[in-house]
Amino acid sequence: MIEFRDVSFAHQSGVRALDGVSLRVEAGEFVALVGENGAGKTTLVKHVTGLLKPASGSVLVDGVDTREASTAQLSRKVGVAFQNPDHQLFSETVEEEMSFALRNFGFPPELVRDRVSWGLELFGLGEYRKSSPLILSGGEKKRLTLACILAWDPQVVILDEPTVGQDAIQKEKLAGTIQMLKSAGKTVVVVSHDIEFLWPIQPRVVVMKGGRVVGDGPATAIMQDRDLLGSARVAQPQLVEFYQELHRRPGTPFVHPLDAARWAEEAMRP
Amino acid sequence: MMWLSGGFIFRRGDSFYHRLDPRAKLLNSVLMFVTTLLARSIFEMVLVIVFMVGLSAAATVLKRVARTMAFTALFSGFIFVVNVLFTRDLETSVLYAIRFIAIVVSTSIFFITTSPDELEQVMKMFRLPRDVVFAFVTAVRFIPVMMLDTIQIMDAQKSRGLELEKGNLIRRVRNMIPILIPLVVNSVVRSGELAEAMEARAYGAVPRPTSLLVYRARRADVGVVCAAVALFAIAAYSFYFVVPVRFP
Amino acid sequence: MADILKVEGLSFRYPDSPKNAVSDFELSIPEGEIVVLAGPSGCGKSTLLRTVNGLIPHMYGGEYSGDVLVAGSSVKRSSMRDLAQTVGFLFQNPENQIFMFSVERDVAFGLENLGVPREEMRARVDEALRLLRIGDLAQRAPHELSDGQKQRVALAGVLAMRPKLVILDEPTSLLDPKTASELVALVARLRKELGTTFVVVEHRLDLLVGVADRLVVMDGGRKVLEGTPRDVLFRDEAEAHGVAVPAVTKVQKLLAERETGRAAAGRLLTPSGLASAVEGRQA
Repeated sequence: MIEFRDVSFAHQSGVRALDGVSLRVEAGEFVALVGENGAGKTTLVKHVTGLLKPASGSVLVDGVDTREASTAQLSRKVGVAFQNPDHQLFSETVEEEMSFALRNFGFPPELVRDRVSWGLELFGLGEYRKSSPLILSGGEKKRLTLACILAWDPQVVILDEPTVGQDAIQKEKLAGTIQMLKSAGKTVVVVSHDIEFLWPIQPRVVVMKGGRVVGDGPATAIMQDRDLLGSARVAQPQLVEFYQELHRRPGTPFVHPLDAARWAEEAMRP
Repeated sequence: MMWLSGGFIFRRGDSFYHRLDPRAKLLNSVLMFVTTLLARSIFEMVLVIVFMVGLSAAATVLKRVARTMAFTALFSGFIFVVNVLFTRDLETSVLYAIRFIAIVVSTSIFFITTSPDELEQVMKMFRLPRDVVFAFVTAVRFIPVMMLDTIQIMDAQKSRGLELEKGNLIRRVRNMIPILIPLVVNSVVRSGELAEAMEARAYGAVPRPTSLLVYRARRADVGVVCAAVALFAIAAYSFYFVVPVRFP
Repeated sequence: MADILKVEGLSFRYPDSPKNAVSDFELSIPEGEIVVLAGPSGCGKSTLLRTVNGLIPHMYGGEYSGDVLVAGSSVKRSSMRDLAQTVGFLFQNPENQIFMFSVERDVAFGLENLGVPREEMRARVDEALRLLRIGDLAQRAPHELSDGQKQRVALAGVLAMRPKLVILDEPTSLLDPKTASELVALVARLRKELGTTFVVVEHRLDLLVGVADRLVVMDGGRKVLEGTPRDVLFRDEAEAHGVAVPAVTKVQKLLAERETGRAAAGRLLTPSGLASAVEGRQA
């Protein structure tokens, strides 16, 4: 679905943001992109919709080279929710805000109405239909930007730091939304620092450092690789650390790290 | 925009000129500015420009000054055409066109070698009210931040299918609305946060705030000021009191 | 030890708002503690913080009752000038609290505003730069700093004013986890070296529970839970109030409910501490 072939890119300032990145994301996959600030995650995302074009190498989205297509054409297939909702909310009403992209993509008016209603319902924003998006709380704004994107039903959904500033309850809802997208067969890419959020939903994890992909694999494998995570300045989930500590001690039966919590509980049962 | 950021925004440098007292740099630019107004022949004007180019090279900003000159040449071409049409005097028209470039360069040299902190000192020297000085400093400080904001907003809206270059003129202007509104909203939010942070750091607590840095003229500054004044005196005398010096 | 902060029956309602942002709030914080304030978005945390450093009622009007005492003096009767020297405030976005074009000028900003003489100012700026280990950044411009560095510069500007109480409003939300835990370690070190009291609003409790003395949970403008991090996080209601209970603490709690071994001990365990506790049980 998305393919990076040996992509390099440098910013105007000369800083090398991507350095020979090769990466394939298949349709229906769920991928998390992790790494410290400045590792190149956002630059990578901007290449997917052609906001940035590779200096060398190529990026293919659904078989189309991003150099051959406009950002609007690519965005029809790939919806990106950027980190800060205040960088995009501009309409007089929440309803208008959601219709904006649909009109740009040439959806017929009846369909626009249907999709907007569906999105508002899904994200529990129905009561704000006629309100200004600017009066919403931080968490609601974030949900609205996600609703705006899902409304045009892109095949791929990319979320850039979706948990920033979200409390525990909002994060749980977000995890639910991601599960829903997965089961609807969408390709989901999450860029996030929030390891504790990512661990229970078990994505394929791609680790970036200094513009390169330095690790790629299932969450259970990557999250146990302490050296890799340490070198990329990524934290380790608490439960994985707990499991590894437990595993180093004699007499601990081998268990899957996901079961560490459950195992501990059972071991303590009188 | 490019013209503005290239020609007038400070970037850190490490030349003798960057290290000068901001007042010396200001005086020098003012003198250069006045000299351009005094020059009465193309030859004199060329002398002034050659001096500025030499100075820019010594200040390691020649590349930026050259680019500014190239951009400004577009405007001065326009000035030239208008002048030829009205005065029918080729020499005067050329003179005006070059003078415009020289004026821009003399100001540009000051701004690109003087940090906002130094500008602030200069403004304080002129006894401008503290609020005015502070507003200026903050505005300059947030230019790069706002530029970054603009890029992020444009990226977000393009990702929602906005095509800035599409349609006729009216449509294109309307296309700017989704960019401008978030930019304004963000600036308003930002200024609110700045105001809170200013209060928390005791802004306006005493009528006469002190300053961490002081600029005391050093020998180099005095030397440069003397040289600049001497050069100016010679130029002023020969450009103004002697017959216009023309190409030999 | 004397209370550095005392909130007495505080209620505050913004103009045009139908309900109180903070209601009947009581809180006493002894000097030198690190206190974490948690709760769901919109629970009134930000408002409460602003009543402590005086932005409320000095900058924002509204219906105010009760009192807030910082180092024994009432906030509403103190001037912003005096408050700025007792209460430091680090805001969420470091970008919007750096005003000057060089780091050292910015650290001096508050002192300049107070009219501190130049020699003393120089010494205090250098001290703040040294405390935060950013001496090498002194001449940098804000746009030449990383997010973590910006947050340190902003904190240096706050500490240069030598406040007794420092408020941190979600200081790590824009930082990556390693940079965030470095900031938390820095706060713990500053408390030790300077004896400064810290009140930290934070969603990421896993970072902070190890250094905090006390956890206060707010919901709907009221204080709903207060105690040591262990006591609060072991309460069943904590999660319902939007508190992100760290994963390892959830396990510790499960274990503690079954027996009174090390898992049930009076302090929160780290992942390796918890592993030891379980191992002990096995043997």
